[in-house]
Amino acid sequence: MTAALPRTSASTRRSRARSPLHGGRFGLVAVLPFVVFMLLFAVYPLVQVVRMALSHVEIRGGQFLWDFGTLANFARMFGDALAGSSAVTTAVFIAATVPLTLVLGTLLAVLVDRSELFGPVARNLALWPAVVAPVVVSLIWLLILSPTVGVLNRVLVDVGLPPQGWLGSEVGAMVSIILVDVWHWTPVVFLLVYTALKGIDDQILEAARVDGANERQVFWRVVLPLLTPALAAAALIRLVMGVKAFDEMFLLTRGGPNDATTLVSLHIRNVFFDRLELGYGAAFSLTVVVFVMLVLLVSVLVRRTARQGGAAA
Amino acid sequence: MSTSVTPGALAGTVGAPAGATSSRRARRRRRFRPAVDLPLLALLAAFILPIGWLVVLAVQPGRNIVSPDWEFGFTTANVLELLGPGRPFAAQLGNSLMIVAGTIVLCLVVGSATGYALSRLTMARWVTLTLLALSAVLPLIPPMALVPGLYVTLNSFGLLGTVQGLILLNTVFNLPFAALLMKVYFDGVPGELREAALVDGASELRVFVQVMVPLARSGLAAVAVFVGIMAWNEFLMGLVMTSGGRTSPLTVGIASLVQPYEVAWGSMAAAGALATVPIIVLAVVANRQIISGLTGGAVK
Repeated sequence: MTAALPRTSASTRRSRARSPLHGGRFGLVAVLPFVVFMLLFAVYPLVQVVRMALSHVEIRGGQFLWDFGTLANFARMFGDALAGSSAVTTAVFIAATVPLTLVLGTLLAVLVDRSELFGPVARNLALWPAVVAPVVVSLIWLLILSPTVGVLNRVLVDVGLPPQGWLGSEVGAMVSIILVDVWHWTPVVFLLVYTALKGIDDQILEAARVDGANERQVFWRVVLPLLTPALAAAALIRLVMGVKAFDEMFLLTRGGPNDATTLVSLHIRNVFFDRLELGYGAAFSLTVVVFVMLVLLVSVLVRRTARQGGAAA
Repeated sequence: MSTSVTPGALAGTVGAPAGATSSRRARRRRRFRPAVDLPLLALLAAFILPIGWLVVLAVQPGRNIVSPDWEFGFTTANVLELLGPGRPFAAQLGNSLMIVAGTIVLCLVVGSATGYALSRLTMARWVTLTLLALSAVLPLIPPMALVPGLYVTLNSFGLLGTVQGLILLNTVFNLPFAALLMKVYFDGVPGELREAALVDGASELRVFVQVMVPLARSGLAAVAVFVGIMAWNEFLMGLVMTSGGRTSPLTVGIASLVQPYEVAWGSMAAAGALATVPIIVLAVVANRQIISGLTGGAVK
């Protein structure tokens, strides 16, 4: 009885759950609000965006004039220098921020895990930047980077270095928004890696040490491979966050100077709200969404193939 | 502890002097280790000092902020002026609180019902797959891309520029996460309890409300904390769906102060601190929920 209990109860539970006696109507009532919400505020707007992308939209006298059935919006993308440069800028931004946050977040997780004295406090403090509103993050860094009151230049002068025009030059602005993004979102990577680190069975590490591995070898050969799924998840999350990044750049640099920090989200905003070219803006944002999904799909497939290869070996 | 473990642990201690085995770690508890603790303190300082600087500036008189020398004083003038009757911040603070409360309630009710259905109830496969697909795709879309469609939708309900409208939008963007997280928590509740209650004659609704929801309350807390933080920090929808001033949430009010050559540095810092201090208090109090929420929801 005792030995067979888990399997029996699991199978009866499954068969009972499938029986028409339970679930049915209450299940529909339970998911109905969710479905209604999603249809109204996710599916419908998305359908509108698709329709808009395939239309010539004009605003005349406060009225929207739709002219459906054109691919001109997509064709225009190839001739739009700013669309291309915003894609490149976003790629540079992601290429810089994702690895930096991954390395710093992992380092922080390992240090917090190892620190006997400060570990518990650090685990709490390390989350603070991630809970601060992006708007306030912009404000904080403006107070640090500003040409007039910025404390960073004051510190630089105090230690004998020349002050820098952080937000004023093209390279400086890019470096600034990368710095701000890394500061803001490293805690998220830290949390993901730290929880994965806590999930590693101590006996595996013990076994490696018994076999004569030193701490460095234990980390690089045992711990890091075990963290790979968490790191991959963190990289994907950060990638999506990089594509969606908006608030900080909008407030800190307004995409400038000379569009050097105009990321795709900012470009979409400018097309929608400054140029009021709704059709073209929709086409561009749709392209971005499709691109992100393709990247995610490919990375999931790669991960699955890698896992199957590992299982076969 | 079986005897076979002890020689192994001893061998580990002897063979790898740098390695801290679990027994040594227990003995060396709370010891300062420079190689670990100094870099950790440096990193923490880099994370905390910018926030600290904001709070310091929030209570500085204006002339200390613009002074090139390091002068520090204390004044509550910035905060008091900000919340004064002539300024929109008190109203915006109220809007933000209402948005947070409304979003949390809606996400908890709708999210837990959906999470429960996904976890425990029999539904047609296409229903489950559609729900999961919706929940997976929505977080990938840059919110900016949905703005025109959402604008039209809110406009047709007459909710443009209202707190209710922003509650609905915040709910939509947080609902997929809330539902998936609640599914994970309901997965962790033993199914036998549900069956026992059903056998005893309780209706599905009653089982859900009186048995399952109370058992998943740590999940509800995690959802509430996450959704609360997201709704409090939300900016884009507040910016484009309201006309600013007293109708907008606090983030939009703060953003209106952020200008690279702004002179009202004291008000800026005070507004930022006003929005930040409560959220950090929440992060400290709800640290456990945040960590469990992230392990439950984001990794899976």
